[in-house]
Amino acid sequence: MSPTRREFLKYSALAVAATSGMPGFLARAATQAAGSGNTKTLVVIQLTGGNDGLNTLIPYSNGAYYAARPNIAIPKKDVLTLTPDLGMHPALKPLMGLWDGGHLAWMENVGYPNPNRSHFASMAIWHTADPTQAQAEGWIGRIAEKIGDPFCASNLGGTTPQALRAADFSLPSIDGVDNFQVKLPAGLDAAFGTMLNTSRAGEAAYLQQATRQMLTNTRRVQQNVGKYRTGATYPEGKFAAQLRDAARLIAAGTGQRVLYITLGNFDTHAGQRAEQDELLGQLAAGLAAFQADLEAQGLADRVLVMGFSEFGRRVAENASAGTDHGQGSVMFALGRGVKGGIHGDSPDLENLSLGDIRYKQDFRGVYAGALSRWLGLDARGILGGDFAGPGWVA
Amino acid sequence: MPLTPYAPKLTPEDAAHLLRRTSFGASDAQIRALAGKDARAAARGLLNFTDARAPGNPFDPMQGATPGAGIQLTRGAWLFEMMYGPHPLREKLALTWSNHFVIGTDKVRNIPMLAAYLNLLRRHAAAPDFARFALEVAQSPAMLRYLDNDQNRKGKPNENFSRELLELFTTGIGHYTEDDVREGARALTGWTFEGGRGNQKYLEEPRFVFRANQHDTGRKTYLGHSGNLSGEDVVRLAATHPQTAVFVSRKLHRAFVRDTPDEGAVAASAETFRRTNGNIRAVLEELLSSTHFYAPENRAAVIRSPVEFIVGAVRTLGQPKLETKQMLNLAQTAGKMGQLLLQPDTVKGWDGGREWINDSTLLTRMQVAAALTLGGQAPKLEQQPTPLALLGTERSLLRAALDGLAPKQRTYLTLISPEFQLA
Repeated sequence: MSPTRREFLKYSALAVAATSGMPGFLARAATQAAGSGNTKTLVVIQLTGGNDGLNTLIPYSNGAYYAARPNIAIPKKDVLTLTPDLGMHPALKPLMGLWDGGHLAWMENVGYPNPNRSHFASMAIWHTADPTQAQAEGWIGRIAEKIGDPFCASNLGGTTPQALRAADFSLPSIDGVDNFQVKLPAGLDAAFGTMLNTSRAGEAAYLQQATRQMLTNTRRVQQNVGKYRTGATYPEGKFAAQLRDAARLIAAGTGQRVLYITLGNFDTHAGQRAEQDELLGQLAAGLAAFQADLEAQGLADRVLVMGFSEFGRRVAENASAGTDHGQGSVMFALGRGVKGGIHGDSPDLENLSLGDIRYKQDFRGVYAGALSRWLGLDARGILGGDFAGPGWVA
Repeated sequence: MPLTPYAPKLTPEDAAHLLRRTSFGASDAQIRALAGKDARAAARGLLNFTDARAPGNPFDPMQGATPGAGIQLTRGAWLFEMMYGPHPLREKLALTWSNHFVIGTDKVRNIPMLAAYLNLLRRHAAAPDFARFALEVAQSPAMLRYLDNDQNRKGKPNENFSRELLELFTTGIGHYTEDDVREGARALTGWTFEGGRGNQKYLEEPRFVFRANQHDTGRKTYLGHSGNLSGEDVVRLAATHPQTAVFVSRKLHRAFVRDTPDEGAVAASAETFRRTNGNIRAVLEELLSSTHFYAPENRAAVIRSPVEFIVGAVRTLGQPKLETKQMLNLAQTAGKMGQLLLQPDTVKGWDGGREWINDSTLLTRMQVAAALTLGGQAPKLEQQPTPLALLGTERSLLRAALDGLAPKQRTYLTLISPEFQLA
């Protein structure tokens, strides 16, 4: 590191400490030593667009499933059998080892009251953990406020989802660990510091604060990531690269308690088989590599993955060999910290709600398990109520 | 009550504010030329655009050797038009509408289809008839493909377009029922396109067709109206619904006034929208020459999007010539910052505002600013822009920081300041 750069970092650290007008929890964090006793990490995977749960965890013994989906049902012979009634989509094969080891859990019929078929309203409900859509803050943003460290949760990707929004701030988004560093042209350190420390109001003050926080966050990451040596071969593609970055951050001990990754394009209104097969393949190959990496690093006991989508899709296929927006769906979780197996009943295809599967488990109960049993936090304070859930955390 | 007109002649700072919002930004000379004018005349002049294009656009999407290349060239051509075109407000509006009537290049991979869509947005950018605009969008092959209405047939509904028509394009959530979505889908059966399908035909021009034998002619009830409703009826009922005036006006306030619109002012614009039967030009002319638009609390109240940041920098620097490769890179870089043209993450489009800002995007903005001012490929400027052009103010808040720096360095540091991120 050049002397100039070292001075700049020192300077920016001071600038951040001296900040004023910071939101309350950020100000608390600035004076609080990082790190707490619990070193466990939760990795949240968002499948955007409404993943079809019925073609993910397939009720292959149920004739109603095949009757409703003459073109897009997964043929029985292709299903990866898990129980006498349920099996996985063949593209999920890379996860079979985790299932066999008791490290993969499926939660059946997950949803929330008064389902909303809008992608955006529904996603906001999952992000805020508030089916009334009254809250703007995300459930992970509230974790950050509770812990008092704005760096305790990060998104891996370009734009920060609402789940990571706190009262006055969004939590970090890291779009590629290698690029996550400030490289200021020579000779501008002092001027940059003065520019940044000029007193401001309104949106300019927000941007000023965001820039200062970015300086702190990039420094924190770059000081640590050199420690990582990859323990697995990841597949090509952005999703896998983000999982690898998650493994790097965890191995580097940068201190995030929650990491968030998104895989998109699940809105399969037409030609579903080709699209969803490809996406589930990416999902499974990426997660299998991630888990293998954590095992190789000796970190597998510290990391738990939990995945969701905003809704499932209608039971009957539409005329375009696709499916329209539905209600209840499946969630999944994997890692040494989960209680492997199927949590909940097979979907009831004889008793539908407007053609959709009825939800039987509230997603907030699933969140509650991650919060209280994995992260050791007060779930009630974060979710605004007590939610019973399946015992999916070992 | 309509918005109150802004009476004073435009000061240089007023003119800079207007051009930051309507033209992505402007050079000192362009700002000075507008100062002293009447606010209404200035707004009218900006809205009075033709279909003239930037001369010498080096990008021809039809030259793309693959669908992907054609899409990249489409982005480059659009960015060029925003940077150098004679009607930046037309392009700013096209960008705004592309974030309203959203389509995406993940599904729309036919080049003439994209060109027709973009030209449709330009033609109706400030058009006098929103319902007509909505109808043409609904029948554009790009939209038919993107939201699957090309597969919506009698007895075999595909609800995708019908839902988003209400939720995202017209009334917004809360003003329709699930039955309206289903009935709307029935009315829209039979609307499809022919030609241009498949990877091989990505240069073939598609066209809208109505297949009567696939249309459900039965009785429907939609937004409180019953009858033998057609697709045209449904789009018109949605587009002329009273709530659509509010929903669309709010979008325009987001684009031109502030990231968190004032609902009272939105209601005033909505009233004008309804009174003029969806005349977008009338709404914009009133808005852009109102006391509300020029109010101190509404200055520096919009966080520039990645594309607005890039185009704003180039226009503020006096539109220096950039290398074609650099422009294609910038279009990709805007994508890295969250705004890949013609490819919003979802059909809802970009939320904008503070959503544009996070650690990674701030870092990338710093890189773009360096490339445009200090880098080896940075354009040579005869003179560096003043604080008025860069920051919209004649008394630079940043003077203390910039003192003693070389002119190029001053421009660089200003481009990465919080103030330049705002319009």
